[in-house]
Amino acid sequence: MSVLARSVGNAFRNKVRTAAVVAVLAVAIGLALAMLVANQAVTGKVAELNASVGTVLTVNPAGGQGFEGGGEPLTSAQAATAAAVPNVSSVVGTKALRLRNAADMAAEAASGRTGQGGPGGQSATSVTTSLTAAVDAGTLGNRNQASTGASGSSTAGTTGSTAQAAPAFSLPITATGIGAEMDSTGKALQLTQGTGLGNYTAASTGALLGTTLATKNGLSVGSTFTIGDKTFTVQGLFDAGTAFGNNALYVTLPTAQTLAALPDELSTMIVTVNSMENVDAAKTALQTALGSDKADVTQGQRNLETAVSSLDSVKNISFIAFVAALGTAGLIILLIMVMLVRERRREIGVLKAIGAPNRTIGLQFVLEALVLVAMGSVVGAAVASLASGGIASALISSSSSTSAAATGQRGGAGGFPGGGFPGGAGGPLGGASQLLTSVTASASPGVIAAGIAAVFGVAIIGALVPALLTARIRPIEVLRGE
Amino acid sequence: MIEVKNLVRTFKSGDRTIKPVNDVSFELEQGTLASIVGKSGSGKSTLLSLLGALDKPTSGDVVVNGVSLASMPDGKLTNYRRRDIGFVFQQFNLIPNLSAVDNVMLPMEFAGVRKAARAERARQLLEQVQLDPDKHGRRINRLSGGEQQRVAIARALANEPKLILADEPTGNLDEQTGEHIIELLSTLSRDHNTTILVVTHDRALANKTDRRFRLQQGRLTEETARTRATAALTG
Ligand SMILES: Nc1ncnc2c1ncn2[C@@H]1O[C@H](COP(=O)(O)OP(=O)(O)OP(=O)(O)O)[C@@H](O)[C@H]1O
Ligand SMILES: [Mg+2]
Repeated sequence: MSVLARSVGNAFRNKVRTAAVVAVLAVAIGLALAMLVANQAVTGKVAELNASVGTVLTVNPAGGQGFEGGGEPLTSAQAATAAAVPNVSSVVGTKALRLRNAADMAAEAASGRTGQGGPGGQSATSVTTSLTAAVDAGTLGNRNQASTGASGSSTAGTTGSTAQAAPAFSLPITATGIGAEMDSTGKALQLTQGTGLGNYTAASTGALLGTTLATKNGLSVGSTFTIGDKTFTVQGLFDAGTAFGNNALYVTLPTAQTLAALPDELSTMIVTVNSMENVDAAKTALQTALGSDKADVTQGQRNLETAVSSLDSVKNISFIAFVAALGTAGLIILLIMVMLVRERRREIGVLKAIGAPNRTIGLQFVLEALVLVAMGSVVGAAVASLASGGIASALISSSSSTSAAATGQRGGAGGFPGGGFPGGAGGPLGGASQLLTSVTASASPGVIAAGIAAVFGVAIIGALVPALLTARIRPIEVLRGE
Repeated sequence: MIEVKNLVRTFKSGDRTIKPVNDVSFELEQGTLASIVGKSGSGKSTLLSLLGALDKPTSGDVVVNGVSLASMPDGKLTNYRRRDIGFVFQQFNLIPNLSAVDNVMLPMEFAGVRKAARAERARQLLEQVQLDPDKHGRRINRLSGGEQQRVAIARALANEPKLILADEPTGNLDEQTGEHIIELLSTLSRDHNTTILVVTHDRALANKTDRRFRLQQGRLTEETARTRATAALTG
């Protein structure tokens, strides 16, 4: 019989109570571990987000963005200028195109509506395609179409046809030529199937399709479709996380420029700065180098601030909850052990009367507490692995609804029409919501181990107080019967 | 050699103070078998707890082989209880959820005896106090009062103490087993030079001891042939 064996024996002395204590401990420990896992998942995501988006600047033509506004388009020469700015590590150009379904165009032409290129159209070029948009026009699309239609073709009969319902109208599809495997905000594409396009700076007949667009058109990796009179092969499918973002396709930059017959033009440039600290300086330098009458430089992160701050609050909440649950576990141990010490006062007196040193008795109680915590941890880890996914998604969905509301307001104030705004809105805002949903709380063994180590640390502290109390019990206690 | 010098222990109960040990002095040579008799409540257990360093005297001192208990720090007192003293409690005070063998092994564990050696010795001691071998592994709370008493005696002998303090060691035993325990104790004092002080109501046991003390209202007197005759006359 050793101290350890005695501790284990004592832990099971009152089995009903032991079961109750283990159950309560398991809840506290399970909650602590689940919160730790959620915290780790969110922390990882925030770091990833800061690393990828925090150093990205977006350059748009001055006075224009996407298919909105006006001004002069960006050129390859400006990309070279941007690349020469200090601290800029890479410049990737994109070229956006609006694709219209060939059959719809023909139908609209027949019904007397012009197949114009869409609103604004300063940098957009409308090209026909065999693809059908995966998004229905709906109220927003028709409203946008109607307003631009009225300004674009006033002669088409405002006299008699205002009351006449517009024929079913299909949305354009955005094709973006990209110089690297990233979306138009500089975020890496999430390929769900197939491969990338290989060299993005050379013309190719490969294309990457959004998942819903591919599904709508019955395409998969290896299928073909046409843009203009060229045949393209689907090389990969991506998931942008939004319906809008997935109603899009990507080709290489030179391909897009060729399709648009504007070989030197860029819609946007994605500029990556070498470190977070240099972003502000590089932004100013870039604006000066390009000229504020030629280009607007914006920081991608600004759009994601809401997302980051809501993630940060999830991180803080989960950390506080972790500490609180850990403290609760410690408190449970403290109270249980104080109770046990009081209950076994006489027995402790006996041990002292027959010459047990204080440290042996103290150790016996700490070990007994650890036996209880070990059992609580086993059950708690099982609870945590079942609950952490649910808890993390509950935390995140509650915070993402607030961030969605915030970004929604921002979008509304900016007045971006829902149907005619490619990339821009779908990028950062879509990216943010995608990022929120993609925080999956996976219980990694390392994190669980660290959490359990913390639980044991707290348990030792909790058990030490009652163990030290045993030192004050005098052996004479044993001579007085209870 | 144990010297008891003017030992006093008082308790306060309400506004009254009682003195179950009132100016007690005596000396015992090493290897003496001595007994204390006295009425219930006369202070026998209180005196024994002072000698066993379980309690601290209000005044006076106990000197064991030249070392004063009054001047010992708590850590040293623990060592004293572990190495030098074997205490048989009036209420046994065994650990109820451990087996008989485990209880006897406890003092040896605290003294750092190796596990195999302590199991071996524990079984030998339980045999010496005549506990059925098939009851050695039984939990204390499943043993009878007399069986528990013998386990308590075996535990007191575990670390071969120089001084055994036994409070009513035969109180729960039948005559025959009691005789055997008395025999065991006299053998220890005679052959192992162990000093033994027993508190007892058992005349047969008291008569077999080398020296006999009587405690009356906190005062200790030694019985000689003459005082015994007087006591017999006065009843
Ligand atoms: N902690 C205490 N507080 C107050 N009074 C006490 C305390 N311990 C013992 N006493 C009192 O001291 C007196 C002596 O008690 P003690 O236990 O020494 O008697 P005893 O001689 O061993 O009796 P018995 O033969 O019944 O065991 C009793 O009157 C008892 O009530
Ligand atoms: Mg007594």
